[in-house]
Amino acid sequence: MRNSVGGGEVAHRMIIEPPARVVDPGEIALPDGYRMQAVATGLTFPTGVTFDDRGGVYVVESSYSYGEVFTTPRLLRIEPDGRATQAAGATMNGPWNGVAFHGGSFYVSEGGVLAGGRILKISPEGRIQPLVSDLPTFGDHHTNGPAVGPDGMVYFTIGTATNAAVVGPDNYQFGWLLRKPGFHDIPCQDITLTGENFSSTNVLKPDSNKPVRTGAFLPFGTPSERNQVIPGRVPCNGAVLKVPASGGKPELVAWGLRNPFGIAFTRDGLLYVTNNGYDDRGSRPVWGTADHLWLIKPGTWYGWPDYSGDRPLAGSRPPGKRELKSVLAKHPNTPPKPAASFDVHASADSFDFSRSDSFGHVGQAFVALLGDQAPAVGKVVRPVGFKVVRVNVSDGTIYEFAVNRGKTNGPASWLKTGGLERPVAARFDPSGAALYVVDFGAVFMDAGGAMPQEKTGVLWRISRAGAMRGADAR
Amino acid sequence: MRLHYVALIAALGSLACGTARRGEPLAGSLNLAGDEAGRRGHLVFTKYCHSCHPGGEAGLAPAINDKPFPDFLKKFQVRAGLGAMPAFKTHVIFRTGIE
Repeated sequence: MRNSVGGGEVAHRMIIEPPARVVDPGEIALPDGYRMQAVATGLTFPTGVTFDDRGGVYVVESSYSYGEVFTTPRLLRIEPDGRATQAAGATMNGPWNGVAFHGGSFYVSEGGVLAGGRILKISPEGRIQPLVSDLPTFGDHHTNGPAVGPDGMVYFTIGTATNAAVVGPDNYQFGWLLRKPGFHDIPCQDITLTGENFSSTNVLKPDSNKPVRTGAFLPFGTPSERNQVIPGRVPCNGAVLKVPASGGKPELVAWGLRNPFGIAFTRDGLLYVTNNGYDDRGSRPVWGTADHLWLIKPGTWYGWPDYSGDRPLAGSRPPGKRELKSVLAKHPNTPPKPAASFDVHASADSFDFSRSDSFGHVGQAFVALLGDQAPAVGKVVRPVGFKVVRVNVSDGTIYEFAVNRGKTNGPASWLKTGGLERPVAARFDPSGAALYVVDFGAVFMDAGGAMPQEKTGVLWRISRAGAMRGADAR
Repeated sequence: MRLHYVALIAALGSLACGTARRGEPLAGSLNLAGDEAGRRGHLVFTKYCHSCHPGGEAGLAPAINDKPFPDFLKKFQVRAGLGAMPAFKTHVIFRTGIE
C-alpha cells in the first residue's frame, strides 16, 4: 500500500518554528495574458473578500481553523499599500467563513463553532447586528456564504455536523464532540431510517472497553431502529437557506448537501453552490467521492448522506472497510446530475462567475480549491487542489487557471516556493476586471489533525496584463 | 493473469518519465476545435476520470499523463479496472467515448 502524500502532510509534529512564508507571484503560472500580484500578506486564516460601494477592499479573518486554533474574527479593510486595518471585530465564535457587501452593509457568515452560527449585518462603522442566530453549527462544518440574491434575500449555507451522518471518533478528534456530546445532524424534513448502526470505541469514556453503537442523525452512542422517524426542522444541517436582509426567520432553499461552502449567483440569477464531498474517515467512511458544483433548484434534496452526486453510495466499499448501505429508508428525490465534479479531497470552496469581457471567460465559474487535508480526510497519492480552476458550467469541464509552478502540484510550503498555499475564495471586483483570490495560508497535517499557521494568509489579485486598474494603478 | 497484468503495468510505470502537468497555465490551452472525437473524449474524461486523476495528474490515484502505456493497455485498464479503480464497462462509457 502506498503512503499518503497530501500537500499539508508532515511526518511528525516537529515543526516548532516553521519557516516564514515567502510570497512570489512569479512562482504561480497563469494562462497567457494574465498577471498576478499579492495585495496583502500576513493575514491570519482569511476566508472571504468583498468590496464596498467606494471601491474599498475588505477581507474577513476566520478566527478559527481546524486544529482547534481560536483567534478573534475580524473584518479588515485592505489599504492601497497593503496594510490591513480593522473595520469590525467580534467575540470568539468563528469561523467567519465569508462576507458580502450589499446596500451599504456587510453581511458575514459566522460559523459558530462555540455558540451556534449566525448571519451578521455589519455597518460601515463596525456595528454588528445578528440577522439569524442559534444555527446548528457545532460540528465538523459551519455556517458558510453568504451571497445576496436577485430577490434581495441573504442566502447562506450550513454544513453537516458529521462526515456521513454518524457521530464517531473522528468528531472527537475534531474537538467538538467533547464540547457538545449530544450534538448530531438535523434533517430539514422528516426522514425515516433504515436502522443501520455503526460500532466504535467509546471516545467519551476512555476507560471503557465496551464499544458503542450509533445511528444516523442521532447523538453519539445512540443506536437507531428500523423505520425510526427523525423529525425535520429549519434551521437544519447540510442546507441552503435564505433570510431577508433586514432579518427574520430563515427559509429553506435546498438540502441534502454535505458542506456547501461556496455560493454564488450567475448574471441570470441562477444559484450555484460548491459542496465538499465525503471523507474516508469516521464510523461511516466513504472513499473516492468528488466535490461538486451544483445548480440549486429550490426544494430539491441533493443526496447526502446516501448519494455522491447522482450516484448512490449503497454497494460501494472503501478499500479494506465495510460495504456501504443507505441510512435513509426512503429518499426525498433522486438527486440531479451535478454541474461539475472536482478532484477528490480538493475542497472546492468559494467561487464567482466572470461577468466582464475585460477578464474573459464570461459566465464561467472561478473556483478556489483549498487543497487536501490528508491524511485526516483519507489518503492521496499526490497533493490535490491548492489552485484556482475555471469551470464551464454548460458542460462541466474544468480547467486549471492559477497553479504553482513545479514538476508536481502542491502548496507553496510543500514545493518550497512563494506561490499559492490554500486558496479558499475567488471573487471578482465590482468592475469584473480583476479576480481576487483569498489564500488561507499554510495548514500542516498529520495523523493527529491540522496545524494551521497564523499570519501566513495572503490576498492575491489576478487581472489581464495591460488592464491596469484598482490596486495596480495605485 | 491478473498478477501478470499488474506486473506489466508496474514495469511500464517504472519507465515513466517527465512531468504529468498539462494544465492550461503550464502547457497552453486545450484546442479541440474541429476535433469531435477529442471533444467527446474530453467530456468522458471530465465525467469519469478527472476526480481521481485531475487533468491526468496524480491525486487520489496515480498520474496518467506521464505513463508511456500503449493505448490498447489504457483502454483495457478502463474496461477491467485495477486495484481500487473501478471497471467502466461499455454501458457506462460507450466505445466511442475512449476511441
